[in-house]
Amino acid sequence: MATKKTSGNTKHDVVQVRNPRTGRYVKIDRSAGRIVDHKKSAGPYKNIPVARKR
Amino acid sequence: MIIYSPMDGDALTSPIPSNPRDCFLMTRLGKPVPRGINEIRRSITAVCNKANYKVIDASSRVTGRDFLLKIWRLIASTPLSVGICHEEIPPKTQANIYYELGIAQALGKESIIVKSPGAETPSDFVRTEHIEFDARFSTTFADYLESLVQQASHYELVADQLDRNPILALDYLKRAFLITGDEQLRNKAQQLLNEPGLNSRAKNSVELLAATF
Repeated sequence: MATKKTSGNTKHDVVQVRNPRTGRYVKIDRSAGRIVDHKKSAGPYKNIPVARKR
Repeated sequence: MIIYSPMDGDALTSPIPSNPRDCFLMTRLGKPVPRGINEIRRSITAVCNKANYKVIDASSRVTGRDFLLKIWRLIASTPLSVGICHEEIPPKTQANIYYELGIAQALGKESIIVKSPGAETPSDFVRTEHIEFDARFSTTFADYLESLVQQASHYELVADQLDRNPILALDYLKRAFLITGDEQLRNKAQQLLNEPGLNSRAKNSVELLAATF
């Protein structure tokens, strides 16, 4: 599980998934339960794990 | 998802029965329907039937209640809305079709415009996907329907990541269910509801309504 420290010193569990409609990756903060970013360019985000189906 | 009634602005607090694998078609219904529009409708229906989608329209259900509310509920109950854009559709009817496409997009439905080569879409729909009704239409439209399976898989995957946000996760599961009709997605929604505190909510609470699909 990838975690990222924020300024508040809280660890966040962040993953990315590819939206087939746009072909672009979407970043999801699992700890906060929200979609945080949509990638503007092609390819995945660096250092963020790609979520797989459970 | 909270849906506000277009009639009185209050939230709808009764569940909307799901119509998985249904395609809501927005076209001219009043007679006479020009031949070109009929031809598009026939082609859409043929491709949908082949892909196991049932085509319905605003005249498919008779509720005896408000017509606009019926359309909202039909759109909300289905995974896919298809609007026809054709130069022979009267402007008033075409405006209604655009309005309904807007509802579908706001409710997170898959939506697409099927347009004749001679028709022009308004600028607000420039970024909306459209398929031209030409010689390759059946293949292109069939490919589009096929791509919805991947989209459903994406919705399920996103829902899996959002277990800390159950209402959003339930809505994504519902979107995946409407496309696939997969009963396992209903079970997943029920599992989410079993999280502490959720099951004790009122039956018409946003959480339980979101899980009723």
